[in-house]
Amino acid sequence: MKKTRIPAAFLVAAVVSISACGNTSVPVNTVNSVDDLKGKTIGTQLGTTGYILAGDIEGAKVEGYNKGADAIQALKQAKNDAVIIDMETAKAFVSKNSDLKILDEPFDNEEYSICYRIGDDELGKKLNEALAAIKADGTLDGIISHWIGDDADHASYVADSSITRTGTLTMATNAEFPPYESMENNEIVGIDVDMMRAICDKLGMELTIENMAFDSIITAVTSGKADVGVAGMSVTEDRLKNVNFTDGYATSMQAIVVRAK
Amino acid sequence: MNLLEQNNEFLQKLYDTFIYDNRYMYLVNGLKTTLVITLFAVMLGMVIGFLVAIVRATHDKTGKLKILNFFAKIYLTVIRGTPVMVQLLIIYYVIFASVRIDKVLVGVLAFGINSGAYVAEIVRSGIMSVDGGQFEAGASLGLSYTRTMTYIILPQAFKNVLPALANECIVLLKETSVAGYIALEDLTKGGDIIRSVTYEAFLPLIAVALIYLIIVVGLSALVGKLERRLKKSDRG
Repeated sequence: MKKTRIPAAFLVAAVVSISACGNTSVPVNTVNSVDDLKGKTIGTQLGTTGYILAGDIEGAKVEGYNKGADAIQALKQAKNDAVIIDMETAKAFVSKNSDLKILDEPFDNEEYSICYRIGDDELGKKLNEALAAIKADGTLDGIISHWIGDDADHASYVADSSITRTGTLTMATNAEFPPYESMENNEIVGIDVDMMRAICDKLGMELTIENMAFDSIITAVTSGKADVGVAGMSVTEDRLKNVNFTDGYATSMQAIVVRAK
Repeated sequence: MNLLEQNNEFLQKLYDTFIYDNRYMYLVNGLKTTLVITLFAVMLGMVIGFLVAIVRATHDKTGKLKILNFFAKIYLTVIRGTPVMVQLLIIYYVIFASVRIDKVLVGVLAFGINSGAYVAEIVRSGIMSVDGGQFEAGASLGLSYTRTMTYIILPQAFKNVLPALANECIVLLKETSVAGYIALEDLTKGGDIIRSVTYEAFLPLIAVALIYLIIVVGLSALVGKLERRLKKSDRG
């Protein structure tokens, strides 16, 4: 037994010394406006609007991480100069990282929609009707107020248990995108999830959630692995070639996140 | 839908995936990155591997180099006991925290250090497979341990383990496909980038798979050739 104890001690020592080097100071922020982004290294999540927008910036080197959180982590460590990501998500990240801030100058507005398979017009019609219904009776606004704003209490929507449900609706999402969807207590929660539960109440269907990488969602929908993609997804020309979108359910804009100092 | 329409649709997808916006360049540049990482990681892995193997084999044969052997053992345990992707993330986010470091270098270090552990065990097994009598023969000719090792044992060991070493290179080439996790644009990530703009999974993934396959088949053929050449000396 003694023999294993010595390597273990060395291992602990190595880990401690490695983590000690993690605390060195990071270079100062150099991005204070949209114009400053030119020629900089910009972190984004692959497949998001931010990735597309960053690609249009002159001379910028765009990094496409698998997760928004990885791009933010890299920003904190000065591996890039700025991160372009959706505003509400940016706020959620910045509230947890005092060394980051959001630039006042945002990018363009966009509207989030639910995507579904091209040709699945019946589902599209039902989704739009249900969406209109939860907008009209205030359910959607109620859900959003639980997740965005000063009074956000992160209380999930409670599905109506009196409804008899026939069939399931499978929703593909990427639970790395607070407040629209993220993991809390090992459950996928957020505006999109609650909204889909409310929609399923209207449709009389059971909701199942598939968590995957953001850039796999549309493929999952086109290949029939999921019925709908709901992941704070805005309508773009490229996406329209492959899926249909419902009416919008929320507006968001792209934010530029930089180091606070 | 008739055949012509289907054909047109496929051609359109082919165009969208590879030609439009010069998207094939994602694959070309990604392939370059993958090859660079693999080449340098293999070189680093071989250097580390041979050194560690010699330390371990010397300890096994003579009982010397106790401290070095101890560190070599820790290295082997840690590296072989953890997934290469976690090692890559640790090197990028923990060891090089707060440093803007070239990602290709991170890749070379991560995959090289990882490969070194496997190479070490392969080479050690090669050294141990050389008959003990060869050491005695060296000693009786008045050669020192080092000379016996370099001129008699290692050449034979190298020949014995060549197929396993080549296989390690091939494995390494394929393992570099997780490099995309640190937003390093290698071949797999190149395909992923195309997939993220076209939302079409089939063509980019098949293209990426084919490119890996072609390289691996090519490498295997080269190794076969080398093995046959080395075999010639067996008859002497």
